Amino acid sequence: MDVNEHEVSPATREFGCEQNLLSRPDGSATFIQGNTNVLAGVYGPAEVKVSKEIYDRATLEVLIQPKIGLPGVRERAREQCVRETCEAALLSSLHPRSSLSLILQEVHDDGSLLACCLNAACMALMDAGLPMSCLFCGITCVISTEGQIITDPTLQQEKESRAQMTFAIDSIEKRVMMSSTKGSISVQELQEAIALSQRASERIFQFYRDSVHRRYSKIQ
Amino acid sequence: MKDTPLSNCERQFLLKTIEERKRLDGRETYDYRNIKITFGVDYGFCMVDLGKTKVMSQVSCELATPKETRPSEGMLFTTVELSPMASPAFEANKQSELLVKLNRQLERCLRTSKCFDMESLCIVSGEKVWRINVDVHVLNHDGNLMDAVSIVAITSLSHFRRPEVSIQGQEFTVHTAEERDPIPLSIYHMPISVSFAFFQQGSYLLVDPNDSEEKVMEGLLVIAMNKHREICFIQSSGGIMLLKKQVTRCSDIASVKVLEITELIQKALEKDRKARKDDDKFSFAESLPKEQITAQKLKEAPLEKMDIQETASEIINKANISPSTQGEHSPVLHAGGVGQVGEGITSSWGLEEDIEEEGEMEEKTTVKKTKRKGDVIVISDSEEEDIVVLN
Amino acid sequence: MFASFKDKIGEAVLPGDVFTLELPSPENKAKAEKLICGPGLRRDGDNVSVCKCGVLRHKPPNVFWIDSQQKRYVPVKGEAVIGIVTAKSGDIFKVDVGGSELASLSYLAFEGATKRNRPNVQVGDLVFGQFLIANKDMEPELVCIDSCGRANGMGVFGEGGLLFRVSLGLVRRLLVPQSELLAELSALFPCELVVGLNGRVWVKAASTQHTLILANLLQSAENMTAKQRQQLFRKVADGAL
Repeated sequence: MDVNEHEVSPATREFGCEQNLLSRPDGSATFIQGNTNVLAGVYGPAEVKVSKEIYDRATLEVLIQPKIGLPGVRERAREQCVRETCEAALLSSLHPRSSLSLILQEVHDDGSLLACCLNAACMALMDAGLPMSCLFCGITCVISTEGQIITDPTLQQEKESRAQMTFAIDSIEKRVMMSSTKGSISVQELQEAIALSQRASERIFQFYRDSVHRRYSKIQ
Repeated sequence: MKDTPLSNCERQFLLKTIEERKRLDGRETYDYRNIKITFGVDYGFCMVDLGKTKVMSQVSCELATPKETRPSEGMLFTTVELSPMASPAFEANKQSELLVKLNRQLERCLRTSKCFDMESLCIVSGEKVWRINVDVHVLNHDGNLMDAVSIVAITSLSHFRRPEVSIQGQEFTVHTAEERDPIPLSIYHMPISVSFAFFQQGSYLLVDPNDSEEKVMEGLLVIAMNKHREICFIQSSGGIMLLKKQVTRCSDIASVKVLEITELIQKALEKDRKARKDDDKFSFAESLPKEQITAQKLKEAPLEKMDIQETASEIINKANISPSTQGEHSPVLHAGGVGQVGEGITSSWGLEEDIEEEGEMEEKTTVKKTKRKGDVIVISDSEEEDIVVLN
Repeated sequence: MFASFKDKIGEAVLPGDVFTLELPSPENKAKAEKLICGPGLRRDGDNVSVCKCGVLRHKPPNVFWIDSQQKRYVPVKGEAVIGIVTAKSGDIFKVDVGGSELASLSYLAFEGATKRNRPNVQVGDLVFGQFLIANKDMEPELVCIDSCGRANGMGVFGEGGLLFRVSLGLVRRLLVPQSELLAELSALFPCELVVGLNGRVWVKAASTQHTLILANLLQSAENMTAKQRQQLFRKVADGAL
C-alpha cells in the first residue's frame, strides 16, 4: 500500500495477538497494533482482601505499568478508563466477594496506547474465561491539523494532531462504553469519529472471533 | 492474593526425583532451560524468556548532575519491578524481600563489576553526565529470576544507543537520532549470573532451578561471571554450609554456562544489528509464534469511509440541539472566588428566612464588585480580592 | 425451538453472542420444550446469551453448554476435586482447592470417622473430596464421603505420586466417558490416576521415570490434535519400552 495513502485515509494498522502466553496468570494476552504492544495478565476470581471486599460483586483492580519509571497520574487516569469499561462488560455479580485483577504492561508505545490496553484487556479476560455480557474494544482517533480524522494513529500522528479521542465500543450494539478525549472537537467531528470507530470496531471484533476460532480449532 | 501452597506430596516427589538425578521437566542436572531473546523497536529494549520465566527490560538515558565524589563519571541506576502479573504472591509497589535481593544483586552485578565505561558518559565534568536507567520488569515468575534479570539487563545495555553529544567549550548540544546516529555504550565485559540450588544439605545441586524446585531447595548459590572467567559477584543464601570443593565446582560449571549464554546474546545482538542495517523493519507482529494456535495476526487495511459523514450529520440533526437554546445560563457570581451556574433549588427545611438573608448579602457584594470592575468578571481567589469583598 | 443453536454446535462462540429461542405461541403451551443452559450460557429475556468464550456443546435432547479452556477453578456442588490442606482449625480443616476461597472440610466427613477416631490428616496433605456446598454466596464445603457415608474412592492421599496442574478443559476431556486420551495414556504405562475437576491431576506409576513421562505427556497434550498426540504417544512407547 502507498505510504501516503495510509497517512491520510482512515485505516487500522497490522493487528496481532497471542493468548495464554504466560504460565502463572489465569488469563493472559498480548495485543499488537502496528508497533504498539501491550501485555495483559488477569488473576481471578481469587481471594480478596477484607478491606476491598464488596458483598454483591467482584472487586476489579486494574494496574497499568509503564515501561520506564513508576506509574504516575497518566497511568492512573488510564487505569480508571480501562476499569470502568471492564466493569461494564464483566458480569461481576456472578463472583461476589472475590477479586479480579487485571495487570497491563506497556511493551511499546507507538500511539493508540489506551486503545491497545483495552484490546489486550478484553483478550486476557476472554482467555481467563470470566463471564462477560459483551466484548469490548478500544479505538483511538485523532484529528489532524487539516481536519482529517485518522483512526489508530501512530505516535507521530498523535503528536501532530489537534485533538485525540479514544472510545471503547461494545460488541453487541456497537455502543460507546467509554470515551476519553483531548483537545477541542466539534460535534460533527465527534460524531464522525464515533461512526468511524464503530466501523473499525467491527474489524477488531472479527479479529477476536478469528483468534478464538483458531484457538479452539484443535478441540473436537 | 496468596500463592498456591506446596503440598507434601509434591515436595516428597521432587526430592525423590532429585535423588534419582532427574528433573520434572526432563532436564539434566546441569541443563539450562531454553533462552529466547527478543528485541523491540526501540534501542535498549529486550525481552528474555527463560523457560516459562519472562522478563523485559528497557534502558533509557537522561542528563543529570554527577555525584560530587565522582564528577567525571556517568551514573547507572537499576530498578527491578516485580509486576503482580508475574505471580499472585507479588503485590504492586511493595518492597518484598525478594525484590530488595534482586535489586541489590543486579546492582552488584552491573555497577560494582564496572562492566562498562562510566567515564565516557561524562559530558562536562562536575556539571553534566549521562544517567543510564535500566528498568527491568518481571512478567512471569517460574523460578530463577536472578539469572533472567541479569541476562535481560546486560543484553539491553549492550543493545542501547545514547544520543551523540558535541561539545564546544562549556556548551554542548545533544543530537537527535535523525541528525546523528546514536552511539552504543562501551561495554567492557558481560557479567551473567548463574544460579545453583542445593538440596539435602548440599549433597545435590541443580542449575537454573524452576519455581517448584526453588520452593523445596535448602540453599542457593549465585555466581555472576563474565566470559573471561572473572567472578563479578558471588552470593550464597539459605544458610547452607558448602565445601570449598563445591564452590569451585560451581564456578567451573558457571564458566561454561556463561560462555554459552554470552555467545547466544552476541548472536542475537548481531542478528538484530544486521536486520536494522538492512532496514528490515522490526515488528512485534512478526515476532509472534506462527505455528501456535493461540496467536493470530491481521494485516493492516483501510476502512470504508463512504457514509461516515452522512451518519454523523444525521445523528446531529436528530439530536437537534440549536445553539441558541444553550448558553441561557450565564455564570452568576455571588461572591468572590465562587462561580455558579443556575440558581439551584431552595431548601424547604424551614430555614428559608436565613437563607434569603444570606442571599441578599451575597447579592449586595456582587453588585459592589461588578460596579468596581465594570463589565469584566474575574473569578479569583487571591487574598487581596477577598479583602475587597469584605469591605 | 433450538434451530439457532443447531448450526453453531461444535463451533467457537464469544461472549455477547445471542441465540434466539423461537418460542411456541402461548396457545399450545403443553408442547413447550425445556432448555437447560449449562456453564457459559445465560438467559436474557427471550434470548440465550453467551458469557464465556469457548466451544458450544450439546447433549440431546435439550442441554447446551460452553466448553472453555480456563485455568481458574470455581467450585460447583457435587464436583470432585483435589485439595491441599492448609490449616487445621478446631473441628475443620481448611483446604485450598484453587477457588477464590478456602473450602472447609469437617474431620467427621471421612469414612469411619468419629469424635474419638479422628482421621490422620496433616497440613500439606492432599485430599480428594466432593463439594457438599458450593455457591457464590457461601463458603464452599468439602466432604470425603458419599451420601451413604462410604469413602467411594475419596479421602486422604497415600505416599508417593506426583501432583501437577493442567487446564480445566483438559481435565474435562480426561473425564469424558470412554475418553480417548485416558485410554491411550493407560495403554502406555500402568498407573494410578486421580483427576480433580479443579485442574489438579495426581499420577503414580511404577517408577519415578514413568510418573514423570506421564505427567509431561498430559501437560503437553493440551494443545494437540488427536493425531499429533497419538504420534507423540507412539514415539514414547517405542523409546521407553
